[in-house]
Amino acid sequence: MTRPLLEVSHLFKSFGGRDGLFRAGRRARVVNDVGFTIGRGETFGLVGESGSGKSTIGRTILRLLEPDSGEILFDGQDIAGLSRGDLRRLRRRMQIVFQDPFSSLDPRVRVGEVLAEPIRLHGLREGAAIEARVDELLETVGLAPHHKTRWPHEFSGGQRQRIAIARALAVEPDLIVCDEAVSALDVSIQAQVLNLLARLRDDLGVSYLFISHDMSVVRHIADRVGVLYAGRLVETGPVGAVFDRPSHPYTRMLLAATPSLAGRSRAPAQDIAGAPPSPFDAVTGCAFASRCAFASDRCRTEEPPLDTFQAEDHRAACWHVAELPPLGPEAAQGDAAMSPAYRRRIDLLRRAQAGSPA
Amino acid sequence: MQPMTRPGPTDPRDGPVPADDVLSIRGLSVGFAGFTVLDGIDLTVRAGELVCIVGESGSGKSLTALATMGLAPPGARIAADCLRFTGRDLLPLTERERQTLRGNEMAMIFQEPMTSLNPVMTVGEQIMEPLRQHRRMGARQARETALAMLSRVQVPAPEARFDQYPHQLSGGLRQRVMIAMALVCRPRLLIADEPTTALDVTIQAQILRLVDELRHEMGTSILFITHDLAVVSEIADRIAVIYAGRIVEEGTRDDIFDDPQHPYTLALFAALPRPEDKGRDLASIRGQVPGPDAMPGGCRFAPRCPFAIEKCRAERPPLLDMPGRAHRVACWRAPLEESVR
Repeated sequence: MTRPLLEVSHLFKSFGGRDGLFRAGRRARVVNDVGFTIGRGETFGLVGESGSGKSTIGRTILRLLEPDSGEILFDGQDIAGLSRGDLRRLRRRMQIVFQDPFSSLDPRVRVGEVLAEPIRLHGLREGAAIEARVDELLETVGLAPHHKTRWPHEFSGGQRQRIAIARALAVEPDLIVCDEAVSALDVSIQAQVLNLLARLRDDLGVSYLFISHDMSVVRHIADRVGVLYAGRLVETGPVGAVFDRPSHPYTRMLLAATPSLAGRSRAPAQDIAGAPPSPFDAVTGCAFASRCAFASDRCRTEEPPLDTFQAEDHRAACWHVAELPPLGPEAAQGDAAMSPAYRRRIDLLRRAQAGSPA
Repeated sequence: MQPMTRPGPTDPRDGPVPADDVLSIRGLSVGFAGFTVLDGIDLTVRAGELVCIVGESGSGKSLTALATMGLAPPGARIAADCLRFTGRDLLPLTERERQTLRGNEMAMIFQEPMTSLNPVMTVGEQIMEPLRQHRRMGARQARETALAMLSRVQVPAPEARFDQYPHQLSGGLRQRVMIAMALVCRPRLLIADEPTTALDVTIQAQILRLVDELRHEMGTSILFITHDLAVVSEIADRIAVIYAGRIVEEGTRDDIFDDPQHPYTLALFAALPRPEDKGRDLASIRGQVPGPDAMPGGCRFAPRCPFAIEKCRAERPPLLDMPGRAHRVACWRAPLEESVR
């Protein structure tokens, strides 16, 4: 069996402290003992609310932030002990695409140069071959070679996100961290970018760490998913298993809180109370206990490990996983939850879209 | 969230404006420097109703709200056949007259509370301000009313929060404070511009539930602006779908979700990831929203519409009732199953 591309184990990261920005002695524990793997050509989704630590994990993996402790193996190599030169060589293989395509592109650099610079920097092509590669990258992301003389401000949000993806692809990476990469886009443009990411994975075998707060987007793009709460993984597994048979009360709450097109026909949402704890507060036991309808004394004193529930690759960290109420009869999902007229017209649209030139 | 009962089967958008319409907009157009951004918007909000305007960025949904509030950016040219609030014509009002309405009978909340809360005033002062200004309340009565409002929007430890500043609160708490400020004078109309877009999904669920409870308690009508169709599905009584400055479809929540007609409405639905799309391409809309300087003639969606015919590119489709119903669609090809072979 081949090794996963990325193996993260026992990752801890905190901010602040005596010499930091915050008051002495107050450290924000943002990532607490997180571990997961990403295979080659696989997409691992990280979901969670703000402050759950998902972006910090993404940046720590790229060593844009230094972890407090833990192991990050990229292609079997521990990135923690790397020299600057080795790290630079490794960084070519790991790229990141951010949420905001307006702030992630330098407004004074033409698009062609945005793409040519990393190619030159890493010595991947020389002379005219650089130009040819830039044209190829633009075409890969659905733009045209004549776009390379334009400035970033001449593009829409969706086009800028394509440029940011092309820049990430320029160095032929094995792993791309997508940090809320489609969150700022309108739904029609979001669909275009998600289709592009899926095609790149199929054609080039890229792996993604896909960080998002949007459950339906993660369900669409990811193979496996990890649910983060207050810097801890509370549930992980194949997306189908986690979304259809959520085994942690927090995952259930997240899914119940997510609005659906079927709207009011759904059962009334379960009690969605409270807010996550502050990362400055010391948490004993399960971090979700204060919001959890099933919490017991044990939950408040003893932290459940991520194997109280285990069904093949699907795992959850909850002491009461065996006693949680059974999930209701599986509700109709997607178009099956919608009316016959809705389905008929969406079908007409899809057939017309397929038949007309893009 | 039960549907509101409305008097009679007649459509109040026809004929004279009935007394129970909180907001009636007819033919609202807003332009900047020779470009028409909003082009003939018709919209009615009845008493107790929650009406959603849904559309993508640049569609003009926020501008519709700002023009209604009298807060359109400087340089905007505003024209309308009718812009009435509880029977009063808003267009000829002076800024001073507008101010007696805003924060009192009509209020607005925004996506980012930090841009509308005053960073150097305490939470309590900001909630008391409309009470002192519009209701002429004394300090003690204003404080009591504001504190009651703060606990009604479920801010924990309201006494302690009262004397704090906005930056000391989380995003969810700030949104609650903004709602308290907007509703403390029990306005007839609340305009909510993407109020939950920046919030986490569990906090969003809490805020949506709170807004729904408060509107029934206070009898406040709501004009809710959002890009999120799933949110719309859960909260709306009626929906207007807006594209490139024009309303393309309008109807009840069930009209739009159970019987969507306009190709743009359909395309918005189809672009959302569904569980059954796993491993398949999503249905994206080709091209992009036109800029105000490059609006196509005829139907503005025609260049992106797979059903478009010559007539669509030549002639603007009027917003017409579907036979026998108050569900209106601006499309030459609706209903599609009759025109598409």
